[in-house]
Amino acid sequence: MVADPAQTKGKHVGATGVDIDSGDGVAAAAGGPVRQSNLWKDAWRRYIRNRAAVTAGVIFLLVLLFVVVWPIVSPYDPNAAPNYELKNEGPSLRHPFGTDNFGRDLMTRTAVGGRVSIGIGFAATLAILLVGVAYGAVSGFVGGKLDNAMMRLLDTLYGLPYLPFAIIVLAIFGTVNIWTMVIALSIASWFTSARIVRGQVITLKENDYVRAARAVGARWFRVLGRHLLPNTLGVLIIAIFLELPGVILGEAFLSFIGLGISPPNASWGQMAQEGRAVYRVAPHIIAVPSIAIATLILCANFIADGLRDALDPRTRET
Amino acid sequence: MTKFIVRRIFWTIPVILLVILLTFGLMRQIKGNPFRTSERAIPEQIQRNLERKFGLNEPWYIQYWRYVKGVATFDLGPSLVLRNRDVNDIVRAHFPRSLELGGLAFLFALALGIPLGAVSALKANTPLDYGAMFFSNVGYAIPSFLVATLLIYFVVLEWQLPFPTSGWNDWESKVLPVIALGLGPAAAFARLVRGTMLETLQQDYIRTAKAKGLRWRRVIALHVLRNSLIPVVTAAGPTLGFLITGSFVIEQIFAIPGIGRYYVTAVTARDYSVVMGLTVLLSVIVIVANMIVDILYGILDPRTRDARA
Repeated sequence: MVADPAQTKGKHVGATGVDIDSGDGVAAAAGGPVRQSNLWKDAWRRYIRNRAAVTAGVIFLLVLLFVVVWPIVSPYDPNAAPNYELKNEGPSLRHPFGTDNFGRDLMTRTAVGGRVSIGIGFAATLAILLVGVAYGAVSGFVGGKLDNAMMRLLDTLYGLPYLPFAIIVLAIFGTVNIWTMVIALSIASWFTSARIVRGQVITLKENDYVRAARAVGARWFRVLGRHLLPNTLGVLIIAIFLELPGVILGEAFLSFIGLGISPPNASWGQMAQEGRAVYRVAPHIIAVPSIAIATLILCANFIADGLRDALDPRTRET
Repeated sequence: MTKFIVRRIFWTIPVILLVILLTFGLMRQIKGNPFRTSERAIPEQIQRNLERKFGLNEPWYIQYWRYVKGVATFDLGPSLVLRNRDVNDIVRAHFPRSLELGGLAFLFALALGIPLGAVSALKANTPLDYGAMFFSNVGYAIPSFLVATLLIYFVVLEWQLPFPTSGWNDWESKVLPVIALGLGPAAAFARLVRGTMLETLQQDYIRTAKAKGLRWRRVIALHVLRNSLIPVVTAAGPTLGFLITGSFVIEQIFAIPGIGRYYVTAVTARDYSVVMGLTVLLSVIVIVANMIVDILYGILDPRTRDARA
C-alpha cells in the first residue's frame, strides 16, 4: 500500500521508463562499466530534479545527523535520575522539546531513542530484503512449478498481520533487545520484497545479455550473481524506503503496547507510551516522538517515490 | 472461471495448514509454561495431570493433528490459564467488538479516501489537489496513537464535546476510535485512487467516450471511477492486516475489550493456547479475505485470471 503511485506525474514517468529501457539495451551492446556510471548518473539527475524528493532526502539526512551527533554534544543525560522539579515542562530555550515525566531532556531522549528506532528500522529492513532476495531470486530464477508454488504461497500470505507473529517471537526469546526486535519485526514482513525481487529477476531473465551469458556456458550461479542480482540493486534501494516506514511503525506499536523496548531505555515508541500516561497534563511528551516517527515516514515515502521515478519507473507494487 | 476459483480455493487449504504448523512450532519454542510459574509452584503429580488433561504429554505431531482437527471444526481448544473457559468463549466475547471497530473503520476509510482521491485526480495540480494530497501524505505517516491522543485531547478535553474516551457501547463511544483507526487506510486509499484515476484518465477509451460526445459526468461515473476502483479491491487484503495491527493499539488506548487488547493480556499471562488460537484466527481471516479478493479481482478484471490461474 505504501507503494501506490501517489506522486504520479503521468507523462513524465512514462517518458523516463522508456529512457531506462533503451539505455539498458544500447549499453549492453556497448559494454559494461560505461553503462553503469551512466545509469546511476541519469538516475541522480532525475532525482535531483524532483523537488519533493530532494527536500525529503535532506530532512532525512538531517534527522540521521541529529540522532547520531546530538547525544554526544548534548549537555543532558538521557537516562538521568528523576528530577521532579523539572518534570513535564513545555518547550523552552533550555529544553527545546520540553522535559518528560521524570524531568529528563526530551530532545536528548528523542535523539537517543531515534538511534534505537532508526537502527532497528534499518537492520530489520536489511533482514527483510535479504530474505526477500533469497526467496524471490530462487522463485524467479528456477521458474516453472517451484516458482508457481512459491508465488501462490505469497499470494495467500499477502497482508498477514506481522504484529501477532512479532509478539510471539519476542515471547520465544524472552528478552527484548535490538536484535530480538529485528527478528520479530522481519519474520512476517518479507512477502512484498520477495515479490518485487522475483518480478525483477523474471523480467531480467529474458534479456539478451542473460541469454548470451548462458549461451557461452556461464553456470547458473554466475548468471544469477553476476547478471541478475546486481541489476536488481535499483529496485532494492527503492525497497529500503518502502519497507522502512512499516518497520519503524512496527517498533513503535510494539513498544507502545508495552511489549517492545522497555524503560529506562528510550525508543520512539517507548517514549510515546510514557507520554500516553500523562497526555492530559503534558501532551508534548507523546507528540514529540510521534512527530519524529511521522517525519521519518513522510520522508521515506517521498524518497521512495523520487527513487522510483529516477531508478525504475516501471516498478510499481501491485 | 470455475477452474480459477476452484484452484484458488484449493491453494488456500495447504497454506492455512502451513500457517497453523508454523504458529504451532513457534508456540512450542516459548520457554516456561503457565502451570509452572515460580510464584505458585505445584506438586509434580498435579503438574503431570494438568499436562495430561491438555494433551501436552503427547508427541508434537499428535498435538498438531488434534489442533488442526479442532480448527477445522471451529474449536480452538481450552484456555490454559482461565479454567473452564475455552478460546471459543474468548473469541465470542471479544471478537464482535473488534469486527465492528475494524468494519466501521474500513467504511470510514472508503467514505473519506475514495472521494478525496477522486477529487484530487480530477483537479490534478490545483490547490485542491495539493491540499488533499498533503492531508493524505500526513495522515498516512502519523502513527495512530498520536491521532487517537490528539482526538481525545482536542475533541474531548479542549472542545468539551460529549464523546467518551473509553469503552465500546453507544455510538458516541465508537466515533473517536473509528476515526483514529480509519485515518491511515483512508489516506492510503486516497493516494491509491488518485494514482489509478490519473492513469485511467489517459486511456484511449476515455478519449473515445469524450469524443463521441458523452457528457463528462457520465464518463467519470461510468468509465473512470469504475475502472479506478479495481485496485481498491486488491488493497483490501493489506488494509485488513493494517486494521488488525492498528486495533492492537487503538483498543488499548480507548480501553475497548476486543481481540487486540485481549491478545496482549494473554501474552503477558502466558496463556499460550489463547495466543495461538487468536493468531490462527487472525491469520485465517486474512488468508480467506485474500482468497475472496483474488477471486473478485479475477471476476472484475478477466486479464488477471490467466496469469494467476
